[in-house]
Amino acid sequence: MPTLRELQLDFAAQVYDNEARGVDTRLRANGLTGARRLQVYRNNHVSSLTEALRAVYPVLHRLVGEEFFAHLATHYVRAHPSRCGDLHEFGAQAPELVAAFPGLEALPYVRDVASLEWSYHEVFHAAEHAPLDVARLASIAPPRYGELKFSMHPASRLLESRYPVLRIWMANQPDDGGDGVVDLHSGGNRLLVIRRALEVEFELLDRGDHAFLSALRAGKDFTTASDAASAVQSDFDVGAALRDFVARQVVVDFAL
Amino acid sequence: MFTNTGGCSISTANCNVTAQREASSLKPLRAGIGLRAEHYLDVIEQRPPVGWLEVHSENYFGAGGRPLHYLDRIRADYPVSLHGVGLSLGSTDPLSETHLRNLKALVQRCEPMLISEHLAWASVAGRHFNDLLPLPYHAEALQHMVERIGQVQDYLQRPILIENLSSYLEYSASDIPEWEFLTELAKRSGCGILLDVNNVYVSARNHGFDAQDYLRGVAPHLVGEIHLAGHTVKTFADGELLIDTHDQRVSAAVWSLYRDAARRFVNVPVLIEWDAQLPALEVLVNEAQQAQTILSETDAHVA
Repeated sequence: MPTLRELQLDFAAQVYDNEARGVDTRLRANGLTGARRLQVYRNNHVSSLTEALRAVYPVLHRLVGEEFFAHLATHYVRAHPSRCGDLHEFGAQAPELVAAFPGLEALPYVRDVASLEWSYHEVFHAAEHAPLDVARLASIAPPRYGELKFSMHPASRLLESRYPVLRIWMANQPDDGGDGVVDLHSGGNRLLVIRRALEVEFELLDRGDHAFLSALRAGKDFTTASDAASAVQSDFDVGAALRDFVARQVVVDFAL
Repeated sequence: MFTNTGGCSISTANCNVTAQREASSLKPLRAGIGLRAEHYLDVIEQRPPVGWLEVHSENYFGAGGRPLHYLDRIRADYPVSLHGVGLSLGSTDPLSETHLRNLKALVQRCEPMLISEHLAWASVAGRHFNDLLPLPYHAEALQHMVERIGQVQDYLQRPILIENLSSYLEYSASDIPEWEFLTELAKRSGCGILLDVNNVYVSARNHGFDAQDYLRGVAPHLVGEIHLAGHTVKTFADGELLIDTHDQRVSAAVWSLYRDAARRFVNVPVLIEWDAQLPALEVLVNEAQQAQTILSETDAHVA
């Protein structure tokens, strides 16, 4: 008799990798064939994880259609198996998968749309954070300002696309009343995805703000972030930008 | 309708009967419903007459946002139980420390009335299948489960309940009936049993055992919670299987089996589970009221 470990390894190989391990012959004969019984578990696995992906990627689902999404999800489950008993992290690799997925060549924007949906998902579940402690900031000696490393709210993400991904996302919401037509050449988006109260919101950023926040996100100090913003937007007012981001709780903490 | 401040109320169906009894005989409702995200606002606004709510623990493992916000608000009005679906208790991989840590944090946050997990495994060699897979029922598996439940209970510093699952296969290596396996598990690990009456019915039909043998095989004092749910009959060329789909009302046969269970497992909290094709909250509450009526009748009969 195989050990419990051996049984579980054989079961996984046969049910989820389609390898013949004889598990079907180690089941009690009782009506249905062993293969049929194992197939129930094989199907359940794919359908429940497809459902999990559909919940995170409703716009991708709508863009590619039910049949193609199921095909995509089956491939995803094999290429990026779940590693965890809770599914919060499951689906993270969908943007890279769709970026080079056969059959999606005509939809060059799907990777960025998927990135937007994954950002939404992460922001939806991310931690709360108190506003930046302005009194603590005031206690810092001005000569050291340039060394400060500011951090963004945990429930915020940045996204840059050469496609109008926000318009594509909005046009594919169930309650969108528009005609669903998006001009793909209407320009790209730089986006801040952020949760305010309980709602996930999108804000369009200009070049300077996006460069500034991207630098903060990358762990750069205030001077480096300011320079990055000024390099792409000559009239960038870093003092005003920082005050605005602190007031709107985009920037919520700092370290020296 | 009588309502007290503890979130317990007397259902409309029982109103006349209860009104004739002494006030001292009022009992908190024991029937609850599974809480799903689609019903957060309805539960907060309607305060439905159910005794408690149950959530899937893993849905609240995120760091913040809407799920935890609504769980906190609803917990202020109702007792809540935590039902785990992803711990993979029966796996031969080590238990996930991250999973246990998340579960413990959630337990500390919402002080659940009950914590439950499944008699199942779901992962091996680092891969997770996010399903409830049956174990063989033999001495090695029993010893393994006793140790694993011990680890969880030591970590949480609380006893947990273990639920029987719907299964679609039986291993030839099994030499103990499931109900004996569960009973022995409870005796040796100190856990309680979450008896899913729908799962008893589904597995009995799928494997050809007598559901009454199952009920008779479980000692009443071990059962801390009962589950009821809807299932689907799936027909194949070579026969049929009942599938535990949680997408419809409790079947007449399962209600009947629950009547038997309620006579044996007296006044045990009972829960309506519904996970797919979720209906309006009223439908779940109505199902819970049916369960409450049966529970109250059997409780009164025994008293």
